[in-house]
Amino acid sequence: MKRLILACLFLAGSLFAQDIVELKQPNANKVVVKLMFRNGSIADPAGKEGLTVATVQTVMQGGYGDVSYSAIQEKLFPMAAGYSASIDKEVSIFTFSVHVDFLEEYYPIMTGLILNPSFEEGDFNRVKINQQNYVDQVIRASSDEVYSKRALEDLLFRGTNYQHMKQGKSASVETITLDDVKNHYKQYFTRTNLMLGIAGNYSDDFLNKLLTDLKKGLPNSDAILPRPGKANQPNGIEVEIVAKDNAFGSAIFTGFPLNLTRSSDEFAALMVANSYLGEHRKSYGKLYHKIRKIRSMNYGDYSYIEWYDNGHRFQLPPAGVPRSSNYFALWIRPVQIAKQLKQQYEELQNIEVGHAHFALRLALREIDNLIANGISAEDFEATRTFLRSYIKLYAQTPAQQLGYLMDSQFYGRSDYLKELDGLLANLTLEQVNAAIKKYWQTENMYITIITDKSEAEPLAKSLKENAASPMSYSNLVKSGLPEDVLKEDDEIAEYKLNVTSVKIVDSANTFQ
Amino acid sequence: MKKGLLIVLVLQILIAAAFGREADKILPYTIHQKKMDNGMNVVTVPYPSPGLAAFYIVVRTGSRNEVEKGVTGFAHFFEHMMFRGTDKYSSDEYSAILKSLGAAANANTSNDRTEYHMTGNAEKLEKMFEVESDRFRYLNYSEHDFKTEAGAVKGEYTNSTASPYAKLREKMLDTAFDKHTYKHTTIGFFEDIVDMPNQYEYSKEFFKRYYRPEYCTILVVGDATPEEVYALSEKYFGDWETGSYVADIPVEPKQTETRFAHFQNGGVPPFLQLNYKGPAFSDQEIDMPALDVLATILFSSTSDLYKKLVIEEQKARFIGGGAFDSRDPNLISISASLIDKADMQYVKDEVLAAVDNVRQNGVDADLLAKTKSNLKYRFAMGIDNPDAIAGSLSHYITLTGDPESVNRLYALYDKVSVDDLKMVIDKYFVPTGLTIATISPDSEGGVK
Repeated sequence: MKRLILACLFLAGSLFAQDIVELKQPNANKVVVKLMFRNGSIADPAGKEGLTVATVQTVMQGGYGDVSYSAIQEKLFPMAAGYSASIDKEVSIFTFSVHVDFLEEYYPIMTGLILNPSFEEGDFNRVKINQQNYVDQVIRASSDEVYSKRALEDLLFRGTNYQHMKQGKSASVETITLDDVKNHYKQYFTRTNLMLGIAGNYSDDFLNKLLTDLKKGLPNSDAILPRPGKANQPNGIEVEIVAKDNAFGSAIFTGFPLNLTRSSDEFAALMVANSYLGEHRKSYGKLYHKIRKIRSMNYGDYSYIEWYDNGHRFQLPPAGVPRSSNYFALWIRPVQIAKQLKQQYEELQNIEVGHAHFALRLALREIDNLIANGISAEDFEATRTFLRSYIKLYAQTPAQQLGYLMDSQFYGRSDYLKELDGLLANLTLEQVNAAIKKYWQTENMYITIITDKSEAEPLAKSLKENAASPMSYSNLVKSGLPEDVLKEDDEIAEYKLNVTSVKIVDSANTFQ
Repeated sequence: MKKGLLIVLVLQILIAAAFGREADKILPYTIHQKKMDNGMNVVTVPYPSPGLAAFYIVVRTGSRNEVEKGVTGFAHFFEHMMFRGTDKYSSDEYSAILKSLGAAANANTSNDRTEYHMTGNAEKLEKMFEVESDRFRYLNYSEHDFKTEAGAVKGEYTNSTASPYAKLREKMLDTAFDKHTYKHTTIGFFEDIVDMPNQYEYSKEFFKRYYRPEYCTILVVGDATPEEVYALSEKYFGDWETGSYVADIPVEPKQTETRFAHFQNGGVPPFLQLNYKGPAFSDQEIDMPALDVLATILFSSTSDLYKKLVIEEQKARFIGGGAFDSRDPNLISISASLIDKADMQYVKDEVLAAVDNVRQNGVDADLLAKTKSNLKYRFAMGIDNPDAIAGSLSHYITLTGDPESVNRLYALYDKVSVDDLKMVIDKYFVPTGLTIATISPDSEGGVK
């Protein structure tokens, strides 16, 4: 059986004062090592946005010493050993994993890459070309959902170091040079801001050697880590519509600043409320039930009280993206636009705008209802029971377990998932309903909508004028809807939103 | 040469030590399986994950079974309908039970199967059996719910086809196949999706045909014993009546010339994909294992081709490829994302030259040994939790009905010879089996 050891060691002399997180699993067939550096895209200098990503990727896609990238890949090939890196706003994490059979041969590659990366021009060029392509094309063309999420962050954090996509902007990536990358690595990837995590079947000798080598090899730096930017306070509901060619629907993200993270015990209370409102990729949330299940408007609708990385791909929240600047968000997956509805249904020829306005009204009205009425004792119990079981699934693999333990340190906790279970167990209904009132509101928020050029103007007008937005069902669906749903639709259609500004931006001009 | 031989020997010793425990089986955990009288297969793999189990039901029905005109996308649509309730548990009650289980539960559909899965508390296994048995046997939804759910599928289409790559894939399959149902994507043609609300009667027929024990396999991996899983299967599925329907899947006629599919788009980098008609999956024939080994040698990030096009010349951002595992013959696809559209023809020629090089000269013994080692260790590194193991076994259950296929496939990798690599090249990498798919800002692909 797995033996879980969690240790927080500080080496003598504090020359090497990073935390060490250990998870020994003597029956595992592999070893996972994670190096979490406490600096992410917020450390990018102004005008060089994307530098941290370029730096980390050049290390990961390059060689070390005089060993080339291709030579490393060849050496690792029969081991099927890998390594990867993830970068977020406040941390950059290198993850190495190898089968125990090859641990000794793997070691020099792992330490070589971190301590002595070769920073070859050719490797850097390859990384830069792809990064440029991402900011120029991929983000706009691949998934409107990811696009709308990035656009929301751009709006929420405008003017701060949290604003830009970690990959940077079109103009900033162009200016990044190999020298920038080398300097950035030396300044910000140091032993003073490192947390080391190790999981699996390793010996104490192995860990000691790794510690000694990192201590010897990583530079010290007095570079000051920037303070994370805080989300802007919206003045009323501020909407930004991004218009693009040939969008099939309207993809929506909304949010407002949230002064609460996993560090606080209150987080557990808001987590229950949030799970009830819109648990990620689950059919039990209120939003999902009303928008997708009853009204068939889209593929799903969810809410968030912290950053959820790659939510369009993952069912369970991944570790490795801890943040100290937080915000509340709603994800309304693409709803139909007028152009599409007209093409599909004879009876909808006279509509001018699709379903986005109605969907927004519905979602915000649900939040208002929760603020006014709270959740019931029964729903509280059911949601708490669900969460106490569900959070155990967050960390099923050794790498995920290690990742969650390291994130715990970031938030000043020792084992977040375990502590969370305790907090949930002791929670009361009153605490949940108090947290809703304290942290949620719908008067002031940012909304981003990615939509088709044909939809942008009519939608903007409808939002700006707070015009009624009756739901335009096809006859097929409408004929079978119960009276109470149609009645609720009438109320939703007129529900007042505190919209104070609506701006249309051409897709080509986003993330400048 | 001596060094090569040494590498081969060392790798063989390591692989034997790492994988030799279960009589040469790649999966180090015992697969227990038993077929019930009604034809339903029950598979249990005990795994040391205290308190945690993955519970899967694999229905060997997917978009491959959509043989009638106008109902493409139906297997996937039906997966949605499975969440719409029974007489015993309404849809909302089913959701409430799922919530009480606290499990990660979902479903998904592909060419060859529809998969329903729950990973969660092993102590709640009986409740999982109860609710799944109820909906698999007694699903009952109203016509209104049926029409309503069609809107969600349209939403999913709207979302999943936003990318030009998805649009190209739709077009490429339609071009590469004439008769076989692999001609359409799993989500289906848009006009069929728009028409779905009118197919209520057909949906009931679909349920009668395919949601039957002979199409289904129960798979439990984790903290559970085979005895417990058999007993629950008997209790909840034992008297489920066997069906009789067998779909008549059209046989794809032989392709006779190279085909082309192009999607005009300047918003993403130029993209080239070479799609050759390949074999069906088999754990008996050497063809598929040989293609897996070949594709790893030719197109992985350590291949000479990758080194040349991606690392050195930097004409491609990415290159990769392989044969698609499926029940009927499907495609071998090689994809490349390019920097400059002017290099499309060059990249195609380089891919073909790399293939031809193996045809003419074979490959070194040590490269072959390293590739086999890579395939095995890659598998071993990936199976570190019940859900990952269940996901992998579900794949092989889909293909052959038998999870032991995974062990047979990896045993076959050991047997792949240089002659086998040459054989599959001669057999499958032919211009008459090729469909060239491209994305570029131009109105035509321009690749010969």
